[in-house]
Amino acid sequence: MKSLPLVLFALAALAQWAAPLSQILKHERVLAEGTLIRLKCGAPDPYDPLRGRYLAVRPEQTEGKIAAGAKLVAGQAVYVTFTTAADGLASIAEVHAEPPATGEFVRVSYQWESEGKANIEWLFDRFYLNEKLAPEADEWFAENIRDAKGIIAEVRVRDGLAVLADLSFDGKSFRDILKARVK
Amino acid sequence: MNAPHHRWLHEQLPQWERDGLVTAENATALRQRHTVDDSQPGVAQLVMGALGALLIGAGLIAVIGYNWDDFTRPVRLLFAFLPLLAAQIFSFRVLQKDDACAAWVRETAALLQALATGACIALVSQIYNLGGQWPDFLFAWFLLSLPLVWLMRSTSVAIFYLIAIAEWAVHQCDLGRPWYDSAMIYPVLLLGLFPFWPGWRLERPLSVTLRWVMTLSAWFGLAAAAYCSTQQHFGRQWGDGDTFFSLWAYTAAAMALFPLSASALEAPARHKPQIVLGFFYLLTFGITATFQDAGEEVIKSLRVAVTIPWAWVLLAVGGLFAAQAVRSSRWAVLAVASIAATPAVALLAGESARYVIPWLMTLHIFAIGITLIVLEFTGRRGAPRLGAALLCVLLIARMCESDLSLLAKGIAFIIIGVAFLAFNISMGRLRARIATSKS
Repeated sequence: MKSLPLVLFALAALAQWAAPLSQILKHERVLAEGTLIRLKCGAPDPYDPLRGRYLAVRPEQTEGKIAAGAKLVAGQAVYVTFTTAADGLASIAEVHAEPPATGEFVRVSYQWESEGKANIEWLFDRFYLNEKLAPEADEWFAENIRDAKGIIAEVRVRDGLAVLADLSFDGKSFRDILKARVK
Repeated sequence: MNAPHHRWLHEQLPQWERDGLVTAENATALRQRHTVDDSQPGVAQLVMGALGALLIGAGLIAVIGYNWDDFTRPVRLLFAFLPLLAAQIFSFRVLQKDDACAAWVRETAALLQALATGACIALVSQIYNLGGQWPDFLFAWFLLSLPLVWLMRSTSVAIFYLIAIAEWAVHQCDLGRPWYDSAMIYPVLLLGLFPFWPGWRLERPLSVTLRWVMTLSAWFGLAAAAYCSTQQHFGRQWGDGDTFFSLWAYTAAAMALFPLSASALEAPARHKPQIVLGFFYLLTFGITATFQDAGEEVIKSLRVAVTIPWAWVLLAVGGLFAAQAVRSSRWAVLAVASIAATPAVALLAGESARYVIPWLMTLHIFAIGITLIVLEFTGRRGAPRLGAALLCVLLIARMCESDLSLLAKGIAFIIIGVAFLAFNISMGRLRARIATSKS
């Protein structure tokens, strides 16, 4: 048996581990050390055939003022900064072409400009749910769709990377609310 | 002759020897000439192995899809990596055994590992609620699976790779993407298969199935690249259809002219899908350009196409392939591929180019039709039936465009039809006569 194929195979196997492991390390770091930002959003219930049931998380705010001097091209990665209101909810302050030197910011995708405001697409858009809880989420939304409090996305942010840590409603974890309903 | 034919021949030879149809020496010579490679998996074995691996892989994905909410994150991550580790150990053992391992086991191990890799990435993105798009996931998946094609000599993973890179390329047609994240890198991805074919350890020609999958993958991937280049040129999301058709004519010509080995040249047309599909597009493009209304659009698209760098890449590759085709005396293929160059010749007419194109293309296709027939009658490799079909289509196109009465058109169609059938019958008889004289 020649050793070269085995060596190459070992390298390929290592790469197959390295790709997901690098994602894990990166996101674990954000979850552990990132700043918590709370965004108001809506959440219907689609299905991902590969990764199971998830809630499509759509923060309500999808546009922000373009920072002075920023030139943006559709599809480009841009950076949003935030202001936090008295109720703890964050909203977009400005959209920058480059990462700001200070403060928390999140990398998003720029879509188009309208009246001096940039329309953006958030790069986190799904919250995975257990197969048993997902139908319950459907019913919950049907019952609470008109509630003014809305679903809050709790996002950990570090160096522009945002990781969706949890969804909450009225201060309670959304997952816990659904689990309580299933019991 | 392919593997099943060789097997059939080996099964028949003992009986033929007993019946005195062939001598023992003849039978030995035939066995040596048409060897049966039992190290290669049978189709049924391969399909069953692939099916088993697919079912296990699909099961893994479904189990992951359930989302084990009650377990902690580390435990759920363990679920992602354990199947991958098991598949890797299985593949490693298969690779260690090398030739001692049945070919179908090698195929199964490779496919299982490719699926376990995809399942692992999917589960990690589920656990961390990663958004991401399907093409990003696919990109990571097929790149991590590619080494299995080379190392395990896996046809099924090669097929997965070819389908995945085409799917990815089609999804990457977005304005604003850098070239290295767009369909423009499809040719580089296709070259990723080079160690599998035609380079490293080339021990046997590709199966007909793999050739078709490869050609269809190139068909879609290169089309996406051509479309992307028009998006970049015009600076708009919806690209430009007319320019795309010109670029695609160069692509089809390059595909048809793709260099072939001496044995591949002798193979039947269905074994050369790049020629079948290349001819199909070029002849459709040519016939369409013979209509008077098409001249202006063809010229307009050509003038834009030649300012796009991608067109020059295609022309350079097509030129190299054409030079090789001249050396191999592939005159019929060269004749059809030259359709892509006809609009450029019409440009010499300056402002009148749009009026010249339909006539020039009509003459060109007429000449190709005649060439394909004459080549056969002069003992070279031609395509007489295709030539006759071209002449028929050309006549029908001209009849459709003419102001003749319905009665005149009807009679003309009948005459063309009868002439075509008569030609077909005479060609059949000619072939039979040649076969008889050879035997």
